[in-house]
Amino acid sequence: MSTTGEQLVKLTIDGVPVEVPKGTLLVEAAKTVKQEIPVYCYHTKLGPAGLCRVCLVEIVGQPKLQIACNTVVAEGMVVNTRNEKVDAGRGMILELLLVNHPLDCPICDKGGECDLQDYAMAYGRGSSDVADPKQSKPKGVDLGPTIVLDEERCVVCQRCVRFDDIIADERQLIVKDRGHHDIIATATDAPYRHHFTGNVTEICPVGALTSKTYRFKSRPWDLNRTQTTCTQCAVGCQQFSDVRLGTVLRTMSVEHDDRYSDSWLCDRGRYNIGFYTSPERITQPLYRKGGTFVQIGWDDAFLIWARELRAAGANAGAIGGGRLLNEEAYLLQHVFRAIGVRNLDWRGGRQRQASPGKSGGDYASLERANAIVVAGSSSPAELAPVMWLRAIKAKRNGAQIYHVTENDAAKTIASIAPDARIAIVWDGVDLVLGKSVADAASGRSVVAYIASEQPNARGAEAMGMLPIDGGMDGAMMFDAARGGKLAALSLFGVNPVRNAADPDTVRAALSATNFVMVSELFMTETAQLAQLVLPAKGAFEKSGTTVNITGDLLAVNASLESPTGPLSDLEMLIGLAQQFDLTLPTIEELDAAVIARSQSAFTGTFGDALYHSGASRHAQDGRSLEPRTLWDGGGTAAHDERVVALLRETVEA
Amino acid sequence: MPVTKILTAGIGEANLRDINVYRERGGYKQWERAVRELTPNDVFEACDKSGLRGRGGAGFPTGRKWSFLPKDVFPRYLVCNCDEAEPGTFKDHMLLEETPHLVLEGILLGAYGINCHHAFIYIRGEFKRGYEIFMKALDEARAAGLVGKNLFDKGYDLEVTVHRGAGAYICGEETGLLNSLEGKRGEPRLKPPFPAIAGLYGAPTVVNNVETLAYLVPILERGADWFAAAGTERSKGYKIVSISGHVQKPGNYEVPVGTTIRELIEIAGGLRPGRTFMAVQPGGGSSACIFEEHLDYPYDYESMAKAGSMMGSGAFTVFDDTTDFVKAAFNLIRFYTHESCGQCTPCREGGSWLERVLHRFVEGRGLRSDLEMIRRVGHAITGLNLCALGDSIEPFLLSVFNRFPDQFEARLLKETVQA
Repeated sequence: MSTTGEQLVKLTIDGVPVEVPKGTLLVEAAKTVKQEIPVYCYHTKLGPAGLCRVCLVEIVGQPKLQIACNTVVAEGMVVNTRNEKVDAGRGMILELLLVNHPLDCPICDKGGECDLQDYAMAYGRGSSDVADPKQSKPKGVDLGPTIVLDEERCVVCQRCVRFDDIIADERQLIVKDRGHHDIIATATDAPYRHHFTGNVTEICPVGALTSKTYRFKSRPWDLNRTQTTCTQCAVGCQQFSDVRLGTVLRTMSVEHDDRYSDSWLCDRGRYNIGFYTSPERITQPLYRKGGTFVQIGWDDAFLIWARELRAAGANAGAIGGGRLLNEEAYLLQHVFRAIGVRNLDWRGGRQRQASPGKSGGDYASLERANAIVVAGSSSPAELAPVMWLRAIKAKRNGAQIYHVTENDAAKTIASIAPDARIAIVWDGVDLVLGKSVADAASGRSVVAYIASEQPNARGAEAMGMLPIDGGMDGAMMFDAARGGKLAALSLFGVNPVRNAADPDTVRAALSATNFVMVSELFMTETAQLAQLVLPAKGAFEKSGTTVNITGDLLAVNASLESPTGPLSDLEMLIGLAQQFDLTLPTIEELDAAVIARSQSAFTGTFGDALYHSGASRHAQDGRSLEPRTLWDGGGTAAHDERVVALLRETVEA
Repeated sequence: MPVTKILTAGIGEANLRDINVYRERGGYKQWERAVRELTPNDVFEACDKSGLRGRGGAGFPTGRKWSFLPKDVFPRYLVCNCDEAEPGTFKDHMLLEETPHLVLEGILLGAYGINCHHAFIYIRGEFKRGYEIFMKALDEARAAGLVGKNLFDKGYDLEVTVHRGAGAYICGEETGLLNSLEGKRGEPRLKPPFPAIAGLYGAPTVVNNVETLAYLVPILERGADWFAAAGTERSKGYKIVSISGHVQKPGNYEVPVGTTIRELIEIAGGLRPGRTFMAVQPGGGSSACIFEEHLDYPYDYESMAKAGSMMGSGAFTVFDDTTDFVKAAFNLIRFYTHESCGQCTPCREGGSWLERVLHRFVEGRGLRSDLEMIRRVGHAITGLNLCALGDSIEPFLLSVFNRFPDQFEARLLKETVQA
């Protein structure tokens, strides 16, 4: 609990002497003796509010029961968290909360994981003196695109209102009316809508705020829970994927994930999960014959793909990796390099760098910044939403936020007080601008956070999905293709027709290329121009690792069976390698390569060409080189047994 | 009869709203003397020595309240609480309407006493007339150079801002008031931190009642010892008592603290002929009733506490034998339930529950199980709340419930009585 240098306070909780840092709240201190104090309004990340009054404890010497959430530990304090008096006080609060709370637990989504249920069981009376009808309030209130609200179930703990203010900096939610007429609403009656709305359904201690996507779908005990890393963006939030009957019904935050998500999820990460079961998913390889696609088998698909690559020889290219797992990105460059292809890049759009080199920091440093420079026109709240919550925290602590054009980034840094801790948030750095920022940052405290448009861009760079051995980068490949100078192009999880700055030139390039292979979940704009479309698995359907904005290697764990038909990109690359009789790395070798490469990240400053990955990162910036894999036991492809089997087979064959 | 005229002097005789009349009678002399001759600490010493205690309800020693301000932390603010909304209290708005310059001079002295340069007065929304009168008084005082920059050429600046509330009882609670003054929802703040540390706009703040601040004027004029000479051992000075209910001459009466309950009833003209005394609620709607056996208790903070009630804001409501205590209790509980901000559980849920139950009693549909519920819940919700409002729900109810159980029994559903 304590770290050196902190002042400690000695007190006794339930007869057990404990020492906790000065300033600790009793509700937190009680956790050291494994005593859970019931709370509704208090939340570790929101702090005390003192509203629900259920966290009552007895402090010896004080006549009245005290609330543990707003009582700071004091030297020599003697606290009883469970005795007759305390239980009676808590019981009274529970009894009052249940005066108007509907007893609709059997149809309530929260049933089974409801704090009101749990504490009523622990402290409640089991019977009621209420002789009058319960108060009626609006039910099924459509709060916005994501949430339905049951005002009758609400215990007015105001967690949602305080989250919206303190964490999301939105202040859309308010308490309306007064007294027992209190209801939760948006201030203007406009739909509740921002990047983080779903969190209020999680912190709601009762079944008042429910997600539209999960409402009436399941009971918590029927869900199969897997912890994984969200791959919708590059923040690296840890999340639970809750699966029932082959469908991800919901994703939930991981309470102790202070390092990445700070226990929040964005709405994209939380709600963008329905596509896995979409009927529009491609489930069989498609090959263009004449003007139309025909369905073919995987054997034929591999034959065709290999045949075209053989014909193209070195005059081929591959783009992808930013949406793949590290293992896949590694194998992608490994297989293509082995067959003589040098034109490799993860970037289908802008030619930007995703690794900040040694100037990268962890999210705690962003939180502690005095000045945050947001460079460029893209919104970090959209590119890396949960990371932006740290910037909001910094702002609350007094940090200045500067939104500037990329060209002004260096100038802005130079204008900030020399002793300030500066964080720069960017969506990608090019060589020229990066150099100017690096010069401005020289000798100062500047950490960089690059929220790239692709979630594993940094991992792809680390795995070698860059033209580091004389090949063409993505933009050059499209240029060459447009001139008819590229014979074959393999695209993995990229949709340049949609995402490139100039879709028409990409379209022209793809049309002018003899053979285009696209690996995708859906028939994207790019896939429609391909000769061969291979159905791919999504992130919930495969295991491996990803590298996030802060350069950490994080485990992605499969939680879902894919529909029959699609293969992971790893499996596709193995199939292709078989066609060329390539020797593949063993699973252990693959693991080792991924870990080694992700650790020897690019250590130059902004603007240095990335292609010369130098000594390992710790050698240059003095950081420890512990394997940066979170959640022990996770982290490699070895966790997906199907992949293991396939790999073994391939290697042995 | 020990009726005195200190703050109330001149009311009903002279047009004290006119700054010239007020000054002819010695008004603003203390303010000028304070700025010209006294240090803020002198004013503090006088206030502290006089034993003046908060007249808004809690009775906290004013000097001690000021002393909690951290040294040398600026800006700091004085806020005058003119949200007078305690049921039965009507002294502050009388002062505001009848002698606005005295109210202002009290605010100025208080602000000087804590050495602040910006004072606020929070006026209850319903006091439109008082607000207009006070605004005019403030304009006159500003024109006369009594408020503003470099006062009396002594280099002391003091601005006064007037804020009208929107009419909510909870905004009389000092932190609810501060939230409302800041433009936020009027609901009490979680304490600590207390306003003296982090109050208005996060700055150290003292919130004092209108009457409390007004007493600073005579205290400076006649000396702390004069004030301390009146009253009882620990409850010094004078108090305006708003006497209402079953008396013949209800109204505001200024008396030395410690005047007995019996005397106060006499002062207000006594009971109506032929009526019998039943109870008095001595400290506003939040206080418990006291009864016949307490008639000779001195009206001071300690004695009222000893009698199981409180002096509160000085709202003194008398009940004779025509009183329907069930109805009276329902009326008060309905008020507190309506005025609950709804933040904390016991007040929000407990109040509305008791209101529903008492409503049935008023209609003669009480259940025997309710009697036990009233005793149990009424008692249990007290002391669990975020602010004092929730603790104010039960005192009147339980005091009359315990004293006049027959009145409640009589309202039980007939079948239940037989069963």
